[in-house]
Amino acid sequence: MKIAVCIKRVPDTETRIKIAGTTKIDETGVKFIPNPYDEFAVEAALQLKQKAGGEIVAVSLGPDSAQETIRTALAMGADRGLHLKTDGQPYDTLAVAHALAAELKGYDVILLGKMAIDDYNHAMGPALAELLNLPCVSAVTALTIDGTKGTAEREVEGGVEVLSFPLPAVITTDKGLNKPRLPTLPGIMAAKKKPMESKPAALGATHVTVRSLALPPERPAGRIIGEGAAAVPELIRLLQTEAKVL
Amino acid sequence: MILAFAESRGTALRKAAFEAVTAARELGDDVHAIVVGPSGIAAQASQLDTSRVLVAEHAAFTQYNPEATAALVAERVKTGGYRAVFFVSTAQGRDLAPRVAAKLGAAFAPDVTSVATNGEEIVVTHPVYSGKAIATLVLTGAPAVIAARPSSFPPARTDSASPSVEAIAPVGDPSASRVVVTELRTGGGAKLDVSEAAIVVSGGRGLKGPEHFTLVEDLAASFGNAAVGASRAVVDAGWRPHSDQVGQTGKVVSPDLYVAVGISGAIQHLAGMRTAKTIVAINRDKDAPIFKIADYGIVGDAFEIVPALAAAVREARRSG
Amino acid sequence: MTPAAESLYLIILGLAAGFFFYNAQRLVEYLRVGRPEDRTDHPLVRARNLVSIGVLQSKILRDPLAGAMHATVFWGFMVLTVGSVEILIQGVVPSFTYAALVSPPLYAGYVLSQEAFALFVLGAVAWLFYRRLVLRPKRLQGDKLEQWDALLILSMIAALMITLFLLNAFAIVSGQQAGARVLSTGLARLLSSIPPDAAASSRDVMWWSHVLLILAFLNYLPYSKHLHVLTSLPNVYLSNTSGPGTIGAMRPMDLEAEGVEQFGAADVKDLPWKNLLDGYSCTECGRCTAACPANLTGKVLSPRKIVINVRERLLEFGGMPTGLVHGEGEHEPDARLLDGYISEEELWQCTSCRACVQECPVSIDQLDTIMELRRNLVLMESRFPPELQPAFQSLERNGTPWAFNAADRGEWAEGLSIPTMADCSAQGREPEVLFWVGCAGSFDARAKKITVAFARIMQAAGIDFAILGQEEKCNGDPARRMGNEYLYQMLAKENIGTLNAYRVKTVVTICPHCFHQLGNEYAQLGGHYEVIHHSQYIERLMAEGRVPLSNDNGDERTFTYHDSCYLGRYNNVYDAPRRVLPVVNLVEPVRNKSRGLCCGAGGGRMWMEETQGKRINIERTQELLATGAQAIATACPFCMTMISDGVKANESPVPVYDIAEVVASRLSAV
Repeated sequence: MKIAVCIKRVPDTETRIKIAGTTKIDETGVKFIPNPYDEFAVEAALQLKQKAGGEIVAVSLGPDSAQETIRTALAMGADRGLHLKTDGQPYDTLAVAHALAAELKGYDVILLGKMAIDDYNHAMGPALAELLNLPCVSAVTALTIDGTKGTAEREVEGGVEVLSFPLPAVITTDKGLNKPRLPTLPGIMAAKKKPMESKPAALGATHVTVRSLALPPERPAGRIIGEGAAAVPELIRLLQTEAKVL
Repeated sequence: MILAFAESRGTALRKAAFEAVTAARELGDDVHAIVVGPSGIAAQASQLDTSRVLVAEHAAFTQYNPEATAALVAERVKTGGYRAVFFVSTAQGRDLAPRVAAKLGAAFAPDVTSVATNGEEIVVTHPVYSGKAIATLVLTGAPAVIAARPSSFPPARTDSASPSVEAIAPVGDPSASRVVVTELRTGGGAKLDVSEAAIVVSGGRGLKGPEHFTLVEDLAASFGNAAVGASRAVVDAGWRPHSDQVGQTGKVVSPDLYVAVGISGAIQHLAGMRTAKTIVAINRDKDAPIFKIADYGIVGDAFEIVPALAAAVREARRSG
Repeated sequence: MTPAAESLYLIILGLAAGFFFYNAQRLVEYLRVGRPEDRTDHPLVRARNLVSIGVLQSKILRDPLAGAMHATVFWGFMVLTVGSVEILIQGVVPSFTYAALVSPPLYAGYVLSQEAFALFVLGAVAWLFYRRLVLRPKRLQGDKLEQWDALLILSMIAALMITLFLLNAFAIVSGQQAGARVLSTGLARLLSSIPPDAAASSRDVMWWSHVLLILAFLNYLPYSKHLHVLTSLPNVYLSNTSGPGTIGAMRPMDLEAEGVEQFGAADVKDLPWKNLLDGYSCTECGRCTAACPANLTGKVLSPRKIVINVRERLLEFGGMPTGLVHGEGEHEPDARLLDGYISEEELWQCTSCRACVQECPVSIDQLDTIMELRRNLVLMESRFPPELQPAFQSLERNGTPWAFNAADRGEWAEGLSIPTMADCSAQGREPEVLFWVGCAGSFDARAKKITVAFARIMQAAGIDFAILGQEEKCNGDPARRMGNEYLYQMLAKENIGTLNAYRVKTVVTICPHCFHQLGNEYAQLGGHYEVIHHSQYIERLMAEGRVPLSNDNGDERTFTYHDSCYLGRYNNVYDAPRRVLPVVNLVEPVRNKSRGLCCGAGGGRMWMEETQGKRINIERTQELLATGAQAIATACPFCMTMISDGVKANESPVPVYDIAEVVASRLSAV
């Protein structure tokens, strides 16, 4: 089975965000990590390979630093890496989807996280699938693949959708699908020797650009209205009169 | 002309349908809506505050049918010459909107919190980095595909609208879609989803054990229509299901009232609820970060305060 | 002896010696199963340990009564072995005696020594029987096989002594000279009614019994825990636990080495040969387990079991019948050491307090084996308690095991006018000393107060110091103790790079774990600094008269002091913290100094849940409260957290302070 996993290098969410200039975050002191949702995808790929055999390619689009992220996937067990090189991290989902689609023809399964924790766009999977004319199931929390048929579950408001789909397909992963394995030391060592190809990314046309990045408006400071159960009547009063929610 | 995708489930329109219409109005007054569903959905069309509603009824739309729906909406946008099509970034919208955008080669912006235009460009805002920053994005070219963040635009319901309802045919055969939703399992007891409820009461580690969540459930019940949420810590500990998790890796909610019980207010949790209109925090640690963003805070033992509060809320609702 | 008897003797001697050497050779071969290691360094230190711990029995005497008994048997054996040689030679050369080789007074002295020690040994053995069968101390309780082994050995020793006395007594009755054989002479008088011929035959019978007992005993050793009589002295010599080298430093690991496929240990072949020798040397005395904070609060971890399992597994691996050798715990046949004999659960319960190593009379390093197994679990198999995952992730991404923002590291110093190393560097100067704060002292609300108190003391003393602020990262100790050597080296190398770039020479720290890492283990990766714990530093400053304390007698409350494991057992710092405490009355808990009970947080356990038995910190806190003290002093932020929690759990109003806080509260107004 030919499996591809797409992973993105994103800033760690513990980081305090500072804006540099108007359109970028200040990267000093920021730790970069593989997008946690993509780690579920890598784990799903590894489990699939364990069951059905085959090869896993870890793909990432970005500047040279994206190779670090690919190495993490290789340390987990992916077989080879593909780096699509760009200047900086392009924002436009569809432009990036075009670049990925150009390289991901002929795969049986393409896995990626449902969203990236930096841009929060939730869109790459279905967009990529459209460009490749493949079926797509997104944000799956349960997945079974049997030969060329797949079933998946995904959370919707108030319930769970159960879907069936044929392979080849694009699948995006949500938290709860699996528990990503940690790279062992031998895995980390072996990853350094696995093959990595790097080529320029063929981005599609850009229709969305970042005009500015700003910190959210400060919420006015709240107040502690009291201690213990004695403060409850005052809270009720405020909820009724000030906040008008009761 | 702007198109708004009116999300439905079965034969009922969802709150998102009306939010999409409000969002669409930011670009102009001439708004049409498009609805897909099983037979009977057309009867709901008149609730939409638009001049026209396009309805496609087919048995294969009983459950969410991503491929057929995307194909239909994309085709309509093209042939109808719409400037933009609006969705809401619900579970369905997140799956559907990118498909439509890819089909149209459109300028695509999901999860937006505001929409504006000067005629030429469309400018939207969108929270990024777990809500720690707001990106202002410029969309160029036409058409545009925009998905609104849930609960960011008020649902535009109307009794007085009378849109003209036009039946349209699906593209191709909807029952030939490759991806098929075979079942929709609703959580035991039609639980109110945290992301849809107007009032959310959440519990965290401070409750000390899963058995104490009954306090939170009771407080939620006292409000009448509140959902129960959970912090990541208690979901990770297995006390509550992941679908209840509020936070950066759970659900982002924007209710009218958010009550945080025994939650310290780590940044990941705040990312999921900081846009709630009113935040109440109950915690025994007066230095807990949650008090910095709570509008009203009570310091003390949750096991004492929450039952007292639930009783007081019931009393207030009875008399008020 | 008749020629036939002599031939028989030679044959028996040959067979016995042959069989013994066969087994000895096998046991040595099995040691080769383990990883190679060089233990030829520091011969003088090793020799000194051999004399003090081995010959002079310093560790075993930590238990005064049992220790004295054992020392008697041990010294007795040394002395009586000389006599045994004489006896064995007599089998071939019947007239042989040392008297022919040495001066009469020396010979008389030798004879007296044999008599005296045989009596002492017999007395000690009697008491040891009494202890095994009547007193039955908990740490000696094992299974049936273990009991039989012990009783058999004691019986054989007793029999050896008795046959020796009888041998000489009968010899005297049959006409031989008595010389300085006082006791044998006395015994001979009791037997004087026996005719000389019968006495001579009885003497021969006793001689043969004695000799056969010696040979049987010798050949029993490889199948018994008593193998330690052969291996314990070499084990003490070859051990690193009492220096040579740095005490308490974990084994270095080269992660870049080519062709290394195994990190840590999963089975006996992955352990260095010295750890396997440890297995042979264990006497099953149980002192380690009796001192283990996990074991004594009801957890399954038993350091003794770890060592016995190593021996058990090695002998099974090698193919030696182990039915007679005492084992511990259940195991599947042919299962590897990890999981087969020693469970994950046991390994994660260890707090790395080093009490087991401290107590072991034959210098076994139980902790080293535990840590090698942990390293395998984490590095090779990624198996560890799930609550460690956030700690590992935070260390990797944030440079601290707690989920605090790294940017907040220097916040405690706001308003205190403390320069950072970067500030000093920009001004082109090097401060006298670097104050390494540590993660607890930088982020934890309670520990920050310790940091501020110590900073105030240094400022009052006029010390020119600086901090690293945001450039400081976790020293890596939690990662290393949890077995994650890769993560540890990453953090340590970064810190060493920072420290070396600033050309730091002297470091003072408030945390014993930072103290131990920077001072003792960073050297493995190229970091060489003089590192001082704040208790020692305050002592030094006080001695120089630089700490302006108010004139009164000190805090009027009765204090008790809790020894930190990493300050105490790892680095022998017991007195400085006590001396600097400006209090009127200091009382000691029952278990103090090198016997101090751990607070429970070491070995990475601060980040793990305690799921079995009584909580270690509660046990320790109750002991501290039982002293009746009105306040408790600690010298480590981890101990501070654990003891404070313990005090709260006991609903006691007794406050817990760091020694720096007590000193700072006594600073005269500057």
